[in-house]
This record gives sequence, C-alpha cells and structure tokens, in this order.
Amino acid sequence: MGGWMGKVLDINLSTGSVATRPLDMEMAHTFVGGRGLGARLLWDEVGPGVDPLAPENVLIFTAGPLTATGYQTSNRFSVSTKSPLTGTVLDANSGGYWGMQMKKAGYDVVIVRGKAESPVYVEIKPDGAIVHPAQHLWGQLVSATSRALGQDKNRRNVLCIGPAGENLSRIAAIMNDGERALARGGPGAVMGSKNLKAMVVEGNSKPEIVDKERYKFLLYETRKLLRASPLTSQALPEFGSVVMMNVVNNIGALPTRNHRQTQFEGAEAISGEALAEKYLVKSAACWACPIGCTRVTRTDKVEGEGPEFETTWAFGAQCGVDDLAAIIEANHLCNELGLDTISAGSTIACAMELAELGLLDSDLRFGRADLLAGTVEAMARRRDLGAELADGSRRLAEKYGRPDLSMSVKGMEMPAYDPRGMQGQGLLFATSNRGGCHMRGNMLGLEVLGLPKLIDRFQVQGKSSYVILHQNASASIDTLVVCKFANMGVADEYFARVLSAVTGVSYPAGELVKVGERVWNLERMYNLREGFTRADDTLPPRLLNEPAPAGPSKGWVCQLEPMLQEYYRARGWDGNGVPRPKKLAELGLTDLAEAIR
Amino acid sequence: MIDERIYQQFVEIGRDLYEQNMVSSHGGNLSMRLGDRVVIKRRGAQLGRLKPHDLIETGLDKNDSGVTLASTELLAHRTIYLQTPALAICHCHPRTAIAFSLSRDEIIPIDNEASYLLKKVPVIWEEFASGTPEMANNLAKALQTYKIVMLRGHGSFAIGQTLDEAFFWSSTLEEACQIMVIAKTINEPFIEYRAMSDAYAKW
Repeated sequence: MGGWMGKVLDINLSTGSVATRPLDMEMAHTFVGGRGLGARLLWDEVGPGVDPLAPENVLIFTAGPLTATGYQTSNRFSVSTKSPLTGTVLDANSGGYWGMQMKKAGYDVVIVRGKAESPVYVEIKPDGAIVHPAQHLWGQLVSATSRALGQDKNRRNVLCIGPAGENLSRIAAIMNDGERALARGGPGAVMGSKNLKAMVVEGNSKPEIVDKERYKFLLYETRKLLRASPLTSQALPEFGSVVMMNVVNNIGALPTRNHRQTQFEGAEAISGEALAEKYLVKSAACWACPIGCTRVTRTDKVEGEGPEFETTWAFGAQCGVDDLAAIIEANHLCNELGLDTISAGSTIACAMELAELGLLDSDLRFGRADLLAGTVEAMARRRDLGAELADGSRRLAEKYGRPDLSMSVKGMEMPAYDPRGMQGQGLLFATSNRGGCHMRGNMLGLEVLGLPKLIDRFQVQGKSSYVILHQNASASIDTLVVCKFANMGVADEYFARVLSAVTGVSYPAGELVKVGERVWNLERMYNLREGFTRADDTLPPRLLNEPAPAGPSKGWVCQLEPMLQEYYRARGWDGNGVPRPKKLAELGLTDLAEAIR
Repeated sequence: MIDERIYQQFVEIGRDLYEQNMVSSHGGNLSMRLGDRVVIKRRGAQLGRLKPHDLIETGLDKNDSGVTLASTELLAHRTIYLQTPALAICHCHPRTAIAFSLSRDEIIPIDNEASYLLKKVPVIWEEFASGTPEMANNLAKALQTYKIVMLRGHGSFAIGQTLDEAFFWSSTLEEACQIMVIAKTINEPFIEYRAMSDAYAKW
C-alpha cells in the first residue's frame, strides 16, 4: 500500500478510550484523503441537529496520501467538523509540520469525539495515544503552550488552541507549530468545547512510495516548474502572499472599509513591497516546501510569522487602516490568542461601520489603527465589546439590526477580493460550501493573474464553467494534501501523476478532478441535510446593489443571478441547487440522496 | 446570444490557426463549454473568416435545433466535455504532426519547450473518422490523461480552460514536429540535454 498508512486513531474524551482501526481502503480510494476523507467521515459521524459545540460533534484530522512523502509542499493536513460559525460542513487545512508528523506516527485519520470533564491534552505516538491533564495550560497563549509541550521543529509537534478557543469564540482557530493556523469557520471553538487544549504528535515512519522511479522524475519536474514560475520562484519567496495587495488594488477589486469601496488609497503602504522593506526579518518555509512564502516580521513590539495577504487586507483596507505595524501586531495577537485573522479583521470593520452609523456605542472608526490590538484581545477574551464581536460579523450585525452590513456568505467573512471587480469570484463565494472563502477555489488565477490564461473578469456568460472547474480542482488538491501555491507553478495533471506514482492506483488527471467534484457534491449534500437552501447561495446586498463607486470596476455590481442559474444547470443540480439523482449516481453518491428526501 | 467577448476569442484563434497553416480553408474546429451549453463552429464555416452566425450554441448533453447547424465533430466535442475537465477544445490539422502520426504511436518532442510542456503526445486510431461514438470515446479517454492527442492521419485534439490554452498546446506540438524534421535533415548526432528524458515515454 503506497501513500496511505492504513490506520485510523479514534479518541473519545468522554470515556478516555483510545482505539485504532484499519482505514477503509475503498473509501480512501474514492475520497483520497484530507478534506475528501474528512467530509465522508463527517457525513456518517455528525448528523443534522447536532450543535457544533456539543460533545456529539467530532474533530476529524486527516492527512492525504501525499502528506509526508517529501513531494514539494506535502506538509499539509486538514480538520473536518461541523462549523460553529456557519453550521455548514467545515474543513480547514494548514501547513507547517504537524500534519507530516501525524502521518509519520502512522495515522491517516485521527478522530476526537466527546468532551473531557476538565482540560486535557492528547499525546499521539505510533503505538497509540495518551490523554493527559492540561489544567496548567488552560488560559495560556499559543506560543507558551507550544513551548511547554515541547514543540521541536520536525521531531515533536504541537497543535493547540489559545484563549479564543477556550472561550468558544466562533471564529477561533486551531494553531499548529506555533504560528500556523487551521483558521476558518471556528474549529478552535469545537476544540475548546471538548476541553481539549492541545494535541502533541511524534512519529518515526514514512509512507511507502510504489513507483519510486516515476516519483523521482516527478519530483525533478516539479522542482523545475516551481523554479521557472515567477510567482513561485520570485514573487512569493520575496514578498510572501502580500504581494497580491497592489495587484488586486490596481484592478479595483480590493474591498475597502467594509466593502464600501473597491480600491484603497493606502494599499501601497500595506503592500508586500512595504512589508519587505520595513519589517521583514527573513522568510521561512513549511516542511518540504521550496517556495518559502512565510514572512517573519518584527516591529517595535512583536516578532513572529506573518501577516499573509488576507490578514493584511482584513486589518488594513477592510478597516481603512494603512499602518502596517499595527496590522502586524494585530496578526501576532491573533496567532497568540488563536483567532482567524480574516474573520477578526472583517468583524472589526463591520463594527466600525455600525459605530460610524451611530448604531454601536464605540470609539471604533475606519482608520483607527490604535484600536486594533485592544479589540482583538477583547474578542478572544470575550471582554467588553469584544464579547459581541467574538462570534463574527453576522451575529454582531444582526444584533444591531443591520445584517446587511456583515460582509459574509453563510456567516463566514469573505476575504480580499471584491466580486464587483471579479464576477466569477462572486459566484465562487456565493456557492462555497463553507461560506465566503477563497480556498474553495479562487478566480484570482484566471480573472487577474492569467493562470493558465487570462479571461475577462467582467464576463458573466460561461463564468460558471470556470468556477466549477476551479472548485472541483481545489477540492481535489485538498484531498492530497498539497499547497495551493504549488498549483500556481504546477498544473493539476502533475498532482494526478504523483498521486498515481505514490499510491500505485491509477488516477488520470481527469479522474482526480472528478474526485474533487465528488467531494464538492458530498459537501453540498451535507449542507442540504442541515437545512441550507438556494437562498443561502448569495452575497451581501451591498455587492449586488451598490455599484463600485470609483476605480477600474466603477459602476459594476456582481451579476450573481444569471451566473447562479447557469451554475446549477452546469453542476447537474435542479433549480433549487439540489444535485439530481443522475449526478449523484455518476459520482457514486447515490446513497446520500435518501437523507434529504 | 453569444457574448461579444466570447465571439472575439473564436475569431482571433480561428484566424491564427488558418494563418499558421494549422488548418485548410474549411478544416478544423473550435468549441467552448459555457455552463451546460456548448458553442462550436458552424458546419462548413471557415475558421480563418468567422462571422457571428458561424458560431452555433447547443446543449452539452441535450439536443436542440442548434445541432442542425453544428460541426460534424459535435459528438466528439460533447463527449470530451462530459468525460474530462475541458472548457475549450482546439481541433486542427497540423501538417508536420500529421505526417509523424502516420508512422508513430506516440510523438516525443526533442525541443525544450515541448519537452517541458507536453512530454509525450499519444497517437490514437479508429477505422472510422472522428464523428463516430467509438472515436469520441477513445479521444475523451486519452484526454483524461493528456492535454493533446493526435488522431492518426487526421489531426490533433487539444483541451484547455480557454481556447487560447488549447491553441497553445496545438501550436507547441506542430512546432516540435517541425524542429524534429529539421533536426533529421541536418542529420547529425543528437546531444541529449534534458535530464531524465527517458521518463518521457512513460508520461
């Protein structure tokens, strides 16, 4: 057996029992790993009506068949759960070292269920797992927790929550290896609800590679491609993901001041170029990654990893802030407290607009960089106004009678691309299974960067085809699990060939995309079972009704409705967005249909 | 109604194909998938001189009146769309590549660009022409693994996310074949400059 380790570790925190069982290999071949395997297991484990913060919800940590093989960027892993932020199916994935170590410990899947009576941490080794008391760690920041539990580069790796997760913030992240994040959708709150502070893992084995000669060739070719692409060999290593700030701003697609505008006059001051010039200490990389997009930055007050583009945008343009030091410090606090930076920044922006409209009694105003750090701290600790912001912008905006001011989809805050300037991105956000997210497919490549070729970003007809392809391809990459940035230099067909070489199972390029389509439809069925409908496939009214006021996207709104109708038809779904029996049969998902009948 | 921006893509790629001798006056074909619809060249239209009425829109898997006007290759295009992630198809008749397809089961380029981009292009064959279901299925199956394939003695089918991308694979293949002919004409020993090139045959 190549790629997969063949074992599932099942930890019940209510009973303290730990069990190991074989991985269902038929399921593995069909859903591959990572997000796919996680979604399939979640379908069986967590049905409708389960409160995401109840002991009945589970955390499913999954590696993919490429994780820990040494293939470029094969460091990633996922967690799947029901989201406390959105109520949808959720998976979040992360790089660093922890996922690689989990695989080396011999597990493809680690399931955590139940709830411990008091705080605990779990130590995972090749011969099983031990549940330890963690009262002494409760309340500790992420860095202190990681140090206390012996985080050691690629030998012993720690995954934990910070105070935000302990306080059940619905935008709490799970942090791994100190400063990496399983960020979106509130998985940190699920961990907190289980009284689970941390998971430590040590391993010493390696996944088998079936066709070593072919694998060696593909390693060589991938290295060549990553070195040849200016994105992966120059832009990302030199500036990190923040290199996109000026690119997206220049085309008038950078949401600004809670999406009131689509261009930010302060973009240059918070760009990747500015970050490199003023605050960069060095770049860093996840395990087995030759790209090295991670920024290590320093201000007068903090030093650490980040910020990413999305973070810089969320605390920057979205809040009308052009003070890069303040953004770096807010990012650092989020990492220490265990908060999703995109949701945190966009929720503060929502609060700023509510306050400017006189609906919220607060000093928060667009541009108030001085209030960012204090607000982040208050959110994680549920202190003062922070208690109202801790559960994201939708709940905040609803409380103050203006749900339309939450720049979210299905309750998840959208990231740094304004659909008025990128029509396809609007459709992608509206139909994303976990809410407003750029990691469920991204039109940046086609609509902005010209990867593989540039298409018209304002075109509506036919846009659904591109969105569907990228959603499916993105889901397939999330099953392997490799980094989306690698895909900027390496086409999907290479991943399919690597998967085939590693596992010995034939996955033609088209078949791997089909795996992604299967995962997408499974996730859709999960959300339908939870009661989501066509009405949830939408965008904030501002993006549909208020034209971009200035810049290259001036006059445009997102023309969602015609794209959405075309999307449903092209997906093989009915007019209500329900997959037709023929489509489910084609994907081998017929057994799911009964659940929503 | 086909968006003007989509029409322009057909016009530009069609003209390029003709001007680069990749098709005869009425040969070759282009199509795009738009959701659950297909836009394809009208039967008998000239790729080098496309007019708005030369583009036919029809269903991806459902017939309508559009099929009365669509290219005879519609079946192949539909089958490819249904069985692969393709969003655009470029079918042309690159002369040098066709010549190679008459004597080889696969074309392995020797130039740098095609080695980098294509590695290997398989040649497939059916007794009947490409309008048959058998050939359509064979083509689609091959295009699950390769982004361009040759039909022996006939021409190439390339897939991409855009027409531009599918055209790119097509012109890369023809250029690679022309370089092989020139290299053969020079008739001097080949100096291998590509590491691990033995693996191309297994691509």
